[in-house]
Amino acid sequence: MKQKKLKILKPTLREKERYIAFQVISEEGEEFNYSDLEAAIWNTMLDFLGEEGVSKTSVWLMKDCWDPRIQKGILRCNNKSVQEVIASLGLIDRLGDNRITFKILKISGTIKSIREKLC
Amino acid sequence: MNFYDLHLHSEFSEGESSIEEIANRAKLLGYEGICFTTYLDEKNKIKETKEITSKLSEKIGIDIFTGFEARNISELDKLVKLRREYDVLLVKGYDLLLNRKAVETTEVDILTHPEYNRRDSGFNHVMAELATENDVAIEVNFREILNSSKNTRANVMHKIKNNVELCKKYKTPIIICSGAVTHWQLRDPKFLISMGCLLGLKLDEAKKAMSEVPENIIKMIKERQDKKWIRPGVKVM
Repeated sequence: MKQKKLKILKPTLREKERYIAFQVISEEGEEFNYSDLEAAIWNTMLDFLGEEGVSKTSVWLMKDCWDPRIQKGILRCNNKSVQEVIASLGLIDRLGDNRITFKILKISGTIKSIREKLC
Repeated sequence: MNFYDLHLHSEFSEGESSIEEIANRAKLLGYEGICFTTYLDEKNKIKETKEITSKLSEKIGIDIFTGFEARNISELDKLVKLRREYDVLLVKGYDLLLNRKAVETTEVDILTHPEYNRRDSGFNHVMAELATENDVAIEVNFREILNSSKNTRANVMHKIKNNVELCKKYKTPIIICSGAVTHWQLRDPKFLISMGCLLGLKLDEAKKAMSEVPENIIKMIKERQDKKWIRPGVKVM
């Protein structure tokens, strides 16, 4: 049986989102895939903020926005936990055996303006 | 807004990366200026470092300063006498007597991680008052948080939070530095600002700790290196 879809919340009741565009800087232009990066972000955030802390951030690494060629991507979170998410990203210094660092390109409230920054 | 990191170590002191690697990375991450810190044992290399940094500064387009970090009271006394020969004077905090001496000395610019390797936070209300009076900035060191984990990180952050709270109460300048020893430990200024927010600063206070406070220190450096300058508030007219 097909599951009934949930009625969409009114805009005023919806969670306000923020989009963080970032770039991964690595040794000798190493390329990383989505799953490696996602695992690193989740592990660091769970270590740093804890399960309860992460639940408050509504963080999500957007799969369709990750470009492995230029190593740029977009992370979505709610507007109240931008600082927590950025601080956690700053604590990632390795991805597998490679040393990495992040550069924040832009923080925005709409996906449209941030996509322009990535292109 | 211009961001500065005034506590970095290159291969000339305890660091692992070259000055060029660090300066290039700082430029890429959006810093306006950086300061390479060394110890008194490396005093002979200061001329060599200054030559390299001035060439790099022009090539890369970033302000590069040189600083000394005093590790004990005798080193601090010697460095105070040589104060006009270098840019920034930092004091490596951990010992209570040294922390106290640092905040009492007007020549000192930054007291780095007063809570380093201590069970307490190494900083109290008396020191906070003195630091405000003598315009000594108290450092929030990102490397301490980055290099620790689990319970150690929680303890370090707790002690830094206590110090930040005291500094806010007594209006002591707070500076956020990466304390990086390799160019991989250097972080985008936005990460340091966010960490500052998690440690009890408001967003504008955290931004100030990365831009206005270091800018004031740089302004003081320029004044001090002027031949007409004698001591704070005294100048040949």
